[in-house]
Amino acid sequence: MNQTAKGEILTTDGIPLKVSLRRSERINKFRAFALVLPLTLFIIITFVIPIIAMLTRSIDDKQINTVFPKTFEIYKQWDRKKLPTEEMYATIFGEIVNAEKRAIGKASTRMNYSRSGWKSLIKKSKRKFKKIKEGPYKEQMIAVDKRWGKIEFWKALGEMVDPYTFGYFLNAVDLKYDSNKEIIRQPEKRRIYNYTWYKTVKISVLVTLFCLILGYPIAYLLATLPLKYSNLLMIFVLLPFWTSLLVRTVSWIIILMKKGVFNSILVWAGVIADENRMQLIYNETGTLIAMTQILLPFMVLPLYSVMKTIPPSYMRAALNLGAQPMHAFYRVYMPQTVPGISAGGLLVFVLAIGYFITPELVGGADGQLIGHWIAYHLKSTLNWGLCAALGTILLVVMLTLYWVYNKIVGIENIKLG
Amino acid sequence: MIKTIKVALLALIGLAFTATAYADFTFVSWGGAYTMSQQKGYIDTWGPVKNGTTKVSVENYNGGLGEVKAQVESGNVTWDVVDILPVDAINGCDEGLLEELDFSSWEKAPNGDSFLESIPDNGTGVGGTISPCAAPQIWWTYVIIYDPKAFPEKKPKKMKDFFDVKKFPGKRGVHTWPQAVLEMALVADGVKPSKVNEVLQGEGGPDRAFAKLEDLKGHVVHWSAGAQPLELVSSGEVVMSIVYNGRAGAAILSEGASFDYVWEGQVLDGDWIAIPKGSKNKAEAIEFLKHATTCASQAEQARYITYGPMRSCGLDVIKKGEPWFHNGIAVLPHMPNTKKRLKKSILTDPVWWADHNAELKEQWAAWMAGNK
Repeated sequence: MNQTAKGEILTTDGIPLKVSLRRSERINKFRAFALVLPLTLFIIITFVIPIIAMLTRSIDDKQINTVFPKTFEIYKQWDRKKLPTEEMYATIFGEIVNAEKRAIGKASTRMNYSRSGWKSLIKKSKRKFKKIKEGPYKEQMIAVDKRWGKIEFWKALGEMVDPYTFGYFLNAVDLKYDSNKEIIRQPEKRRIYNYTWYKTVKISVLVTLFCLILGYPIAYLLATLPLKYSNLLMIFVLLPFWTSLLVRTVSWIIILMKKGVFNSILVWAGVIADENRMQLIYNETGTLIAMTQILLPFMVLPLYSVMKTIPPSYMRAALNLGAQPMHAFYRVYMPQTVPGISAGGLLVFVLAIGYFITPELVGGADGQLIGHWIAYHLKSTLNWGLCAALGTILLVVMLTLYWVYNKIVGIENIKLG
Repeated sequence: MIKTIKVALLALIGLAFTATAYADFTFVSWGGAYTMSQQKGYIDTWGPVKNGTTKVSVENYNGGLGEVKAQVESGNVTWDVVDILPVDAINGCDEGLLEELDFSSWEKAPNGDSFLESIPDNGTGVGGTISPCAAPQIWWTYVIIYDPKAFPEKKPKKMKDFFDVKKFPGKRGVHTWPQAVLEMALVADGVKPSKVNEVLQGEGGPDRAFAKLEDLKGHVVHWSAGAQPLELVSSGEVVMSIVYNGRAGAAILSEGASFDYVWEGQVLDGDWIAIPKGSKNKAEAIEFLKHATTCASQAEQARYITYGPMRSCGLDVIKKGEPWFHNGIAVLPHMPNTKKRLKKSILTDPVWWADHNAELKEQWAAWMAGNK
């Protein structure tokens, strides 16, 4: 064996053994890394980057600060009691006239979130200010549109002075900044998000519960029946799963509407009178029924795959040892299905909390869950900041749930099979 | 085995090349009978489609600027022409999401009017286009329909009757967004259609509309998709409903449904066609828009749906050609923009709605939540 003066062990070609080993390990490590690289990249591109982008959008308020930088400098000194001075009018005048059209379009959209009317005011001003050749600007601007003389419009800019804001998060829970960046409640007639959050969580919890109540016995039957019956039963579970979501939703409308199948059968059977047909759709009841049916397979399948692994001998042993059937079920069988309950419950809850097409079609006035508002702001008002804030809250709710679950049950207890 | 894979791969690559040899042109609209009317009215009749040099693929979407914004901002614009609402045409142009158009060389009307002059103002005071990015498509309205069987004696005739649940008992179908409902409430409250926008946009206007809506509290079934109200009325779930007039027209003309209209206080709105900024086939898309907006194309489209052509020359062609509908029934009684109808219509103000959309939508949602 070769050895250097310092006592390091060398390989036959004179390189220290440590170095040589590290080299060969590095190649192995590199290979392993290269193997997971596509997956890592996929996760980063489709998952991590969008989530980071969403998080930053929810607090980013630069689209206006970059268009009116000087105006906002002066704005910070303004007392917000009387109309601004000629200096501020002149500054914003210059910045509107010189701004690039696209940037000012975005800025006006942003300004409109804090006070309806800014959007058309800025647009009109951009068009008409060209005719104003020299100052003083204040009177001429008010002559173009009298909104320039209204202090409420100026005050509304107060919440936008900083490049970063929590304003979107405040909006997402029915709060807002006033002109001094104090947090206040939204005017009463606009308070809708807290109610929507409550409604969304309530419906998701109820749907999860109903799915569990309905899904547990089905899964139990599936797992315990002889194969030829259980396969048939499995098809019944999976068939709706393979049917289009919209088809299933519309089917529920046909079944549950006033002159629909269900009500008509009850009338025919004499259970209810013809004029007392029940309102089962276009309200919360309809939403719960349709969503439960649509999400049921997501509960049944994890439950089934867990129950399938529980040897029937355990129950037999418990009964043999003298336990009452109910007791044996409760003490021996059910604890073993907890991983399935957790997996199914989480799956259904996560899907339910983001649902919006089904509730919108069958829910009537009750059908607008939080997903609806995200889609609405994404498409109609282009208020992506608010979308991002709503989305972030949704994400945080889910992560909290996951954390609580991990503390109470332990995440290693979740099983899909 | 490996050889088969190789051959298959080569074939795929070859296929990809032949596919790019055709310019792939994407037209995006709302789907259903409306898209069908566009397909037959001006896609199938477009020169490059007829002679086979261009294949137009038609996609559906749910409106809004979300997709356009995402495409433009990511620099990967796959849509070439999109059918949009006035609000989005204005916002999209402002935010630079749509291409600006130069209408100077577009088809003149037979009476010599320039392209823009041939789009009448319909009471807005401004004729022509609402936005330099938008080419004219159709006028459509929110209108009330009812099932005549539900009211054997007295029939509802006025907007007032829609809001009067004592005189005409039964549930009403109303959509889940505030546009048009507020205007209709003001008409029911006694405001003349021509004055509605002024009142709505004045001090306390929306609150007055919401106050009138209290009359309907507890008597509303809300719908969110255009096909639903027809189903609601024909199944007896509601006795009257607000609908898109084209949907009602299609049900009456093509399927023989027995609905009657209440032609008062209907809220007129437009649909426009535009090109997303950075479309890969911009030159072709402009040619397409020119073809889609000729008097003949506009009239042709009305053979398949009862939405009114925006250019008055299109309406003239229909008048001369009645019965115009493709199955030989007169179409003008179902059109929203004849002179008689326009007198009792409210033209929705897209600029004002763009300003107040979010605020009123939230207020409307709060109203719906309390309306049970």
